[in-house]
Amino acid sequence: MSFNLFDAEEQVIERAQALEARLAALAPEVGAELTELVDGFKRSYREQRRLVRVSDRLQGQLAAANQEAERRRREAEDALARLREAQDVLVQQEKLASLGALVAGVAHEINTPVGIAVSCASHLADSTTRLTALVEKGELGRGDFNRYLATATDTTALILANCERAAQLINSFKQVAVDRASAERRSFDLRAYVQETLLSLQPNLKRGNHTVSVDCPPDLMVEGYPGALSQILTNLVMNSLTHGYGDGRAGCLRITVTQPDPETVCLTYADDGAGIPPGNLPHVFEPFFTTRRGEGGSGLGLHIVHNLAVGPLKGSITVESPPGQGAVFTLTFPRVVPE
Amino acid sequence: MASERMTIPATPRTPEIDFDFASGRLALRGESYPDDVATLFGPVVAALREHLAEPSDAPLHVDIELVYFNSSSAKVLMTIFQLLEEAARQGRPVTVDWYCDPDDETMREFGEDFSEDLEHVTFSVREAADRDP
Repeated sequence: MSFNLFDAEEQVIERAQALEARLAALAPEVGAELTELVDGFKRSYREQRRLVRVSDRLQGQLAAANQEAERRRREAEDALARLREAQDVLVQQEKLASLGALVAGVAHEINTPVGIAVSCASHLADSTTRLTALVEKGELGRGDFNRYLATATDTTALILANCERAAQLINSFKQVAVDRASAERRSFDLRAYVQETLLSLQPNLKRGNHTVSVDCPPDLMVEGYPGALSQILTNLVMNSLTHGYGDGRAGCLRITVTQPDPETVCLTYADDGAGIPPGNLPHVFEPFFTTRRGEGGSGLGLHIVHNLAVGPLKGSITVESPPGQGAVFTLTFPRVVPE
Repeated sequence: MASERMTIPATPRTPEIDFDFASGRLALRGESYPDDVATLFGPVVAALREHLAEPSDAPLHVDIELVYFNSSSAKVLMTIFQLLEEAARQGRPVTVDWYCDPDDETMREFGEDFSEDLEHVTFSVREAADRDP
């Protein structure tokens, strides 16, 4: 037996119609009035059926709309999660890219002393071969021997000096690169470390005839993450070279370190380049904010600077750009970064 | 004397109501899910009732063009249709055009449903595109 939602109403109608039939014989004078009442109830019953249908439809639509809204909310959340992942990947790539640039700088810088050492060694080898030949033929004269001694003295001195220079460069780069890659906590001399980092940027600085002055108290020992600091400086310098001096003029970069109190370090980085338009200032630390999209700018350089300043260094960074005076970044962080 | 014309502009939750009794054209257009169905439709139904109370054989045409309505509004529509049906039964020519979007099957079915009880009113379900400009 099938279920009838309006079973009760239909039974009432049946009973009313039966009553109508009985009353037609018993009390014909009330028949018409009763028929009117029964018709009124029947109409009301039909309206009720319609209203239930309307209501069911509306609730069905509402439920469908809710499901759709929920589905879209989930889609939006998924999209946001994917976007964040992509952002993390890009930040990571940007860090690797700047490490790559560091390695390229290192290679360029070491290339000069190594090149000199190689040509000196080669010249010494040639002279030795010639000397050996003269000895074997028994034709070695005093003059030949003295010339060889002079050559050997000169070339070995040059080889030694240039190899020492290369070793020294490698040592300082090694520290920067290891810090950059390992993110290990250690204690370091701030001034020496700033200078080592700048050394790795020399090829870029020299190419544009830019000069850097460092004004930092000696023996200022900082305990924290030198890799983060080195990365911050690298990104700031590269940012100045790209944006501040894009027109090719030689710049003057100033790094000034002060201690507002013994436990706080305040590093001010200033260039005298083109500066940052006031409209861009509030956005420079935002991820993917770039004025050079399509020209290779990822918009992540200063975002990484900001992340490193507030993250590993547990400090803060602000930017100012008074019209016509270049860009000034102020990095403040505890001398001993809390564990 | 019954009012000649009753117009209520549409709001996001209520339809445009234009009952032009003088020219015999009544219209409901838009969405209808008022906060208080009695406040909105009470005076409208009363005005219609009053107008229909005066015997007339002037034709009456009603356009209903609702894209959405709630259950209370549906009950009001049925009340209005019963008033019209009674007037038509007494001899007044009454036509109702129920407009719905071509792909709004629900609205079409509601229209067909509502016309079930109308014997004397000429009720047509039309697609919104057919409407006279």
